[in-house]
This record gives sequence, structure tokens and C-alpha cells, in this order.
Amino acid sequence: MRFVDEYRDAELGRALAAEIVATVDPGRHYKLMEVCGGHTHTIYKYGVDDLLPDNVELVHGPGCPVCVIPMGRVDDGIAVAHEEGVIFSCFGDMMRVPGSRGTLLEAKAAGADVRMVYSPLDALRIARENPASQVVFFAVGFETTAPSTALTLMRAKAEGVANFSCFCNHVTIVPPLRALLESPDLRLDGFIGPGHVSTVVGARPFEFIPGDYRKPIVISGFEPLDVLQSVHMILRQLAEARCEVENQYKRVVPYEGNPHALQVLEEVFELRPHFEWRGLGFISHSGLKLSGAYADFDAELRFPVPGIRVADPKACQCGEVLKGVIRPWECKVFGTACTPERPIGTCMVSSEGACAAYYNFGRFTREKAVV
Amino acid sequence: MSCSGERHCITCSDEGVPMRVVDIHAPGLALCATEEGVKSEVMTDLLGLVEPGSMLLVHAGTALQLIESPRGRSALDRAAR
Amino acid sequence: MTGGEARTLELIERVRSKPLRFRDERVTMAHGAGGKATQSLVEGLLAPAFGMTELADAAVLEGLALTTDSFVVKPIRFPGGSIGELAVNGTVNDLAVAGARPLALTLSLVLEEGLAADELRAEVAAIARAADAADVRVVAGDTKVVERGRCDSMYICTTGLGRVDPRARLSPAALRPGDRILVSGPIGEHGIAIMLARGQFELAAGIESDTRSLWSPVDALLEAAGPSMRCIRDATRGGLASVLNELARASGVAIVVRESKVPVHPTVLGACEILGIDPMYVASEGRLVAFVAPEAADEALAALAASPGCEGAAEIGVVKTDPAGLVLVETAFGGRRVMDMLVGDPLPRIC
Repeated sequence: MRFVDEYRDAELGRALAAEIVATVDPGRHYKLMEVCGGHTHTIYKYGVDDLLPDNVELVHGPGCPVCVIPMGRVDDGIAVAHEEGVIFSCFGDMMRVPGSRGTLLEAKAAGADVRMVYSPLDALRIARENPASQVVFFAVGFETTAPSTALTLMRAKAEGVANFSCFCNHVTIVPPLRALLESPDLRLDGFIGPGHVSTVVGARPFEFIPGDYRKPIVISGFEPLDVLQSVHMILRQLAEARCEVENQYKRVVPYEGNPHALQVLEEVFELRPHFEWRGLGFISHSGLKLSGAYADFDAELRFPVPGIRVADPKACQCGEVLKGVIRPWECKVFGTACTPERPIGTCMVSSEGACAAYYNFGRFTREKAVV
Repeated sequence: MSCSGERHCITCSDEGVPMRVVDIHAPGLALCATEEGVKSEVMTDLLGLVEPGSMLLVHAGTALQLIESPRGRSALDRAAR
Repeated sequence: MTGGEARTLELIERVRSKPLRFRDERVTMAHGAGGKATQSLVEGLLAPAFGMTELADAAVLEGLALTTDSFVVKPIRFPGGSIGELAVNGTVNDLAVAGARPLALTLSLVLEEGLAADELRAEVAAIARAADAADVRVVAGDTKVVERGRCDSMYICTTGLGRVDPRARLSPAALRPGDRILVSGPIGEHGIAIMLARGQFELAAGIESDTRSLWSPVDALLEAAGPSMRCIRDATRGGLASVLNELARASGVAIVVRESKVPVHPTVLGACEILGIDPMYVASEGRLVAFVAPEAADEALAALAASPGCEGAAEIGVVKTDPAGLVLVETAFGGRRVMDMLVGDPLPRIC
């Protein structure tokens, strides 16, 4: 029974929290970044940071592949959705990301056929069931999700489902991390590494973090205990002056990832020379598009797409929040001009974004749990 | 309008769900179930042959890793040999 | 907490406590979800237009309670029930939680051209059965037909009339710090049953709607703890979270929910995880939430749990003073988080 497990976890959690207190230097302030939206969710859902001492701060990074989609690309998606005979499908979170003139949800209210799906296979099924319509799948996600899109496209090609196409906005995990680490005003001591991207890419691609930038990284699972344990492992590395990639999530993540998945990605996708990330600007070789072999399924080639770049609003300070330079409430527009209902920037757009998570879950007078 | 606390898209937040293989529908396509009995169809092409009873890590309709085979040994154990 | 953080939070609360205005350009599905958008429509457009000041589940006029409801669920038949049952129980429940014994219903049917007579017969029979079970009479009605494609099989609109029970002194503004919070059974079954019945997500699980009449448990609560009952609500669209938020706001109090005490079926939890929805926001159609003065809470819970269909009743939380207007969740893991009002529409057309 779940609740029994949760009680046991709570005891173990308190024990770990005590060990963390014993490990840290009370005179030092630690800033650890968790990259993965799933980790942000765990931390807020269970209130994990309530168990950490005041001098250990968790900063939420750019691990939300939905909220980093720039407004111009959302506008492009909406333009395709409004094309005659198109059924536009996307994941739930994408429906609410604002473009320059509204969201996909609002486009649906205005008459576009926009449908929520849980996997690209659902979109392919819609295409098979509606041969007279053009079905477009808005693909988002890191290397965790890209294999699913790839397998779906391989099936579409094999079965000749000609009315199916993909508007590809997949991104890769390493370039934004490198971009963050390159930034001169970055203030982070370590990373809680993404748990499921690494099942595909492995732990090896993260070696550059300790290697080139001297920061520890621990690949973490998604249970609250996993996250706490990973925090402890990072703090221990810092205390022992070690700096390496550690894998807390060995039960699921192999060091070399899934070679078959990587092969499939090679076949179906290729890297764009550069891609714009909302809040982080243009990053080279960070975005995927369909390879030549799959050009027939590329929605950007099948439909006219405006392709206009829309700059982030001037008031937006998301870049600084993403780097851990300022905290959500320190942004000038936090909670006033920028709220979850009317978000200005990427950190407020998805519930896993730093600002949205703080606004929705963390925003109250916190009493620290007694350790 | 953005996501709020009530919704958490596990696909967008990169989470996978452990699911057990119930039945093989076709090469690369299996019916899987979560611990609580929620069933869905999953693409298993990335893992080669999977057996009913295996526990898989599933994300966005695709199995990314074998967590546990029916006899309890994980792919990670086997890879260590 | 630093001064800067505290000031920002204060500013946010000031902005949030202003009455909601209806500023959208178009109606979206979110306006029907029972969350913030619905509230902005009601508080910002409808209530001011009709001079309505107190908004509750039913209006009370000279000892009689009056309520109205409409049902646009898709599909009309689902595991555990159908639109007809939903219509009867939903209307009866609006009266019951206002402390009124349901007397009569009116029934307006909007039918889709081409609806099979057998389906119509089946729904009418379901309505009759549900009315009988709820001890209420259908006394008036209307029927309209619209062209094929203009409504999904049928829409049902009802008006419910009840007599206010003398034992009831219920109001959304009546909550006081120290009050204890009860729920009559596991949450979230109806919403998930509908989502799975739609078959669009290729998920399958044995979850049934929890639709039922709540007059019996309300009667039991009034009998056991009448003067100590502050407010009773049914947790429909927007779920438990929406009820708690509305009441925290209306009474100007804080509500703390102990997550591990909230009854949820494991299968509902599993489906919610995959669908990406917090079960606290998922609709039930036969569960009540009751707020009772602390000294009477034990008897109230016992009376509730003894009521047929409410065996899973549980105490789930408590009312506090601060932070006023907010709902907090205490997690089993030992942390806390805010549980805000519903913003979007994770589960459209479920009731």
C-alpha cells in the first residue's frame, strides 16, 4: 500500500536529512541545480526542500522542454493548426504555452482542431482513423521523448501513413547545460542530474561537467528519497573535494544508456545548426529536425510556416532565474505581471518551471520540518 | 494560460513510469500495466524481445529500459558481465 | 523567509484577493472547469449582472432552497452510471449540501437528432430509478431537439427544489480556526472513469463513477452534529482542491490537508499519474466534504462512516488562521506545499 511506503520513506528521509546537516559546512551556502522537470515536481509535491537545512538551496534549471520553446515556434504551430483540414496534436502542457498572440488552447477555442495526446502513437492512430485529414504532431522533449517520436515516424513510413507529419521541436540535454556553465554570472555548486534522459544517453555525456567545469553531478531517481540521497551525495563530494559523475539511479540508468535508442535517433533526426531556447537564447547544435530520409514527414516542409522570431518581453528575467542568479520572487514581474494564468516567460509557463513551481506550491510561510 | 498545480505532464517533465508487460500484441508492441492496474499499449522496439512479466521503464508510449526481467534479473546485471 | 520574499508574497496575496474580473476575449473550455476561469466568469460577469451577492450551492428563499444544474457529459454512458443518474444526483446533492431536504426536480432535455429511441428510453428509466432512490419527484420538464452534431446525444438541465432543514446552519463563510474537515469516501473516481471511458488514451482500468445521492449522509451529519456543522459541499468539477480553496477564500481562513489521510483508490492514483493530474482536482459525483467544530468531529465522522456508501469516510485536515485564504498540503514525506485553485481544464465535459 502506498501510504505505508510513504511513512517508511518519511523516516528514512529524516535520517538522510540529519546526515546532510552533518555533512555541510554551516558557514557555507550551497546552491544545487536540478535540471529535470520531474525532479522539480518531486521536490515540490513532497516538500523535499523542507527537509534541507537553510544553507542548502535547490535551484530549478531549464529541464522543461516545453517551456523553453520560443514564442515564434508556438506561433508556427498555431499557424499550422489553423490550416484547412489539419488535425493538430500535442502533449497537454504544450496547449498552454503562449505564443505572441495566444496559446494552442485559445486556437482551439477559435476553431482549430487541436487534440491532446499522451504519446506520438496516439497521433499516428488519429492519422490512420482520419485519412481525409492531415494530422500533425507537435513533438517536444529531450532525448527521453525523441525516441518515441522516432519510432512513430518509422512506423508511419513503413505503413505509408502519408497524412501524418511531425513539427519537430526536440532538444538535447547537453548544450543548455554547457551554455549555463559557460555563463560568467553562474553561481552553482553542483547538479542533480536528469534521471530519464540518461536512460537513453547514459551518464557518460555528463562527464564534461566535472571534467571541464569542476562541478559534481549525481544522476538521480524521482522518488523523494532518491532526490534527498542525491543531494547528500553531491554534498559529500564537495566535502571530500571530489568532483565526478555519480549514478544514484543505477537501478534504471546504465552508464552507456540505450545504444539502440541512440541509433534510432541517428536515423530519424539530425541536429539543427542552432535552435533558440526561450530564456537562454540561441544555442548551437541543441535542436533536432527530421533527417533527409524522413523529409516527407516534416511538417515544416509540408505546410507554410511563418518562421518569425519573437523576442522575449523586455521585463522577462528568466535567464537569470535559470542560472540561479536570482530567485523567482526577486524577478520584478513575479506574481504581478507574470502569473501562471498570464505567464510572460519560460519559468512561469510550465508547472515545472522554477517560477510556476514556487508560485503554485512553495509560496507560503514555511516552517522547517523538525529533523 | 499556463499549466498550474493541478496538471503535471509526465511526458514534458521527462518522467518514466514503471510498467509490467501483460501481453505482446505484435513485434515491438506490448500491452503493459502499471502497478495500480492502468493498462496501455507500449512500443518496445528499443529493447528487442520482451517477455510477459518483465518490468519496463515507459515514457511517452515507448519502453526505454528493462528494469526487471520475469526471473528478477535486470538488464543492468546482465550488462555487467 | 527574507524581507524581500515576504513583501513579494504579500503583494501577490493583495492582487489575488481582489474580486475576479472577466477579461477573456473568448469562452474557452477552462471556463467550464470549475476553477479560476469559471470563477472569473461567475464573479466577474454573472453575479454583478444579476445583483447576486452570496454565491452558494443553492439559493434560499422563504425556507425553500432552489438550485439549477446542467449536464453535458461525454460519453453519456460510462462505468458506474449515465448522464440521467448524474443529473438527478447532482441536483439533489446541491440541495442536500445546502442543508435542504430535496423535494422535486424539473428536467429539461436537449436531444440530438438521430438519437436512438432505445438509448432515450434507457436514460429516462435511469432518471426514474435515480429519482426514486433519492426520494425525489420529477414534476416538470421540457424537451427540445437540435440537429445532428449540435449536442452529443443529449444535454440535461435541471432545477431542484428543497426545504431547508431546521437543523442546518451552514454557510461557506462559517469556517473557524480549529474546525476539522471530513470527506465521505475516496475521491476522484468520477472524473477518471469518464476520461478512461472516452477511450482516447488507450488506457484501461476498472474505475467506476461514484455518482450517488448525498441526502442520507447529510441527514446523518445534521442529526449527529447539527449545530456544530459549519459547511458541507460536494466535490464535483474541480475536485476536493476547488472546494477547499473556495471555502478558505470565503471564510478568510487557511486550510491544511494531510495528504496521507485523503482516501484515494490506488487505481485512481495510478491513472492520475499517467494522465498527469493531481487527484485532488478530479471530480467526484457522490462525495461530500464537511467542516465541523472540533468538539463534534468524532461523532460526525462516526455518523458519516455509518451511512450507506460512506464506509470510506475519513478526517483529512484542519482549519487554521494563517496563511488566510490558502490551502496547504502536508505530505507524508514531511514537507508542505500550496494547493492553489484550479487554473485550466484538465478534464473537460465530465459532468
